[in-house]
Amino acid sequence: VTLLGSLAKTLRSKNAGAFALTLDVLFRDQAGYVRASQSPNLTADQIALRYGVAADQVRLEFYPQALALKVTMPRSVPSGDPADSDVYGAQQHVPLMLLDLDCPTTSP
Amino acid sequence: VPGNRQGELRLLAATGCLGYGFTEVALQRALEGGLDLIAADAGSMDPGPYYLGAGLPFVSERAIERDLRLLLRAARAAGIPLVIGSAGGGGGDPHLALTRRILLRVAAAEGLRFRLAVIGAEVPRELVRERLRSGRVQPLWPVPQLTEAELAATTRIVAMMGAEPLRAALEGGADVVLAGRCSDSALYAVLPLMRGFDPGLAWHLGKTIECGGAIVRPKTGQDCVIGTLREDHFEVEPAHPDKACTIESVAAHTMYENPSCFTFVEPSGEVDTRAARYEALDPRRVKVSGSRFVPAGAVTAKLEGVALVGYRAVCMAGVADPVLIAELDTFSTQIVERVAMEATSLGIAPSSYTLTLRRYGLDAVLRRPAQAQLPHEVGLMLDVVAATPEEASAVLAKARYVAMHTDFPGRLCSAGNLAMPFAPSDIAVGPAYRFSVWHAMELNSPCELFPASFEDVGA
Repeated sequence: VTLLGSLAKTLRSKNAGAFALTLDVLFRDQAGYVRASQSPNLTADQIALRYGVAADQVRLEFYPQALALKVTMPRSVPSGDPADSDVYGAQQHVPLMLLDLDCPTTSP
Repeated sequence: VPGNRQGELRLLAATGCLGYGFTEVALQRALEGGLDLIAADAGSMDPGPYYLGAGLPFVSERAIERDLRLLLRAARAAGIPLVIGSAGGGGGDPHLALTRRILLRVAAAEGLRFRLAVIGAEVPRELVRERLRSGRVQPLWPVPQLTEAELAATTRIVAMMGAEPLRAALEGGADVVLAGRCSDSALYAVLPLMRGFDPGLAWHLGKTIECGGAIVRPKTGQDCVIGTLREDHFEVEPAHPDKACTIESVAAHTMYENPSCFTFVEPSGEVDTRAARYEALDPRRVKVSGSRFVPAGAVTAKLEGVALVGYRAVCMAGVADPVLIAELDTFSTQIVERVAMEATSLGIAPSSYTLTLRRYGLDAVLRRPAQAQLPHEVGLMLDVVAATPEEASAVLAKARYVAMHTDFPGRLCSAGNLAMPFAPSDIAVGPAYRFSVWHAMELNSPCELFPASFEDVGA
């Protein structure tokens, strides 16, 4: 088991506007970045499953210069709607943090 | 060579949000080094749609007054402009009016004289409807296109101004500018743009320091950050002597709250930081160069609007009984169904309200992982949003009673299911809003929606 969070020095989520969520992962080192970016489990499909959104709506961007990964997706409920649970989107990083890079068939 | 002393501009980002505070030590030290402008953002949509809808700030008036008093005193003593953006949080008319009242109170108490410009940012629905019909309103991903029905339901819309309306206010002689909804970066880009500095560096500097202490380590609340702009680079440093900016803290901020790592969009164009270079000048100062500005084809303004959903009332209680915690899924469904019957008996249609059971400790924030163990306590929030405050309170009182006194399999605690932390147990929260407009509208000119009114304070 290698959780994505174990390779990161920053792993955070926040609103990118009221209708989208953006997650930043800053890796501790080059080895961790390479490990994560080559994992068959760190895909839009797997992230979409964990966040309950459509896979084609998940944007996944790797930035080798910054040893960073940015994931942006629509919020399943807009910020502050009656059914929302996290107005700032500040605690939505956990499913990504707990994503296991080793097991390609994990389900949420 | 543009700028003042030796072709440089020194800009102070006093705090990431007016009312979040800063240390007096930092402000004093920044003033001693010489400054050309003091600015502070006061707003954000992150705290949710309520504050824009209700016309209220998300910080206390007391905190706004404290920060404004220190900044106004400092700016007037130094004879430099003070610029406040997204005043009052939402940057709408009531937010501006509140901030102006506080400012005038402070000015009177301190005996200060200055020229004030107040720049409005509310947009009439009729204008948006007209532009929508002529195809000049576009959705911002991932929002669908605006409909006229959604627009009609919207109670307040603000547009985000760029640097041009701020520039018009400063060129009109304003010493103090209170701006409605405004790009955070524009507060710092405006003076450099007026003085002919490179727009890529000016905007990137603005984006870097707009959150104040967010780029400062250690992160202990908000504080002042100084940005120094020169012909081919800028430098950032914390004003507080015991704090530091690092390459990492500065570079990482470009991606913060932004869908991209290296580019960000401003009303007048896009800033590309892919070629930016970051150098540590010493343990607390970072030098940045190489950012580029790409002007936009058409002038647009981002619109943010909210619609009234109803009125909220909530009750927070604790569940400690392990039998009930194990039964909470079935129990929750039963509560919702029984409350629907009770509401109907009061003449309140179940379709007219929402009852959300927020089960803190179990799954209120995120979906519960299948293998997760059950907690020994659960915080149960009963959250009702109904058509009127009276109906919200009526539905909530029923929900509280039903949750307290409904049987579940294996129940021993037949005197009550909930631990109430205090009385009254039910809290009327007030109006509830949702975001209804999140679109970009084409403007005929950058200042079109943002009229400035000038007044001489203390004259």
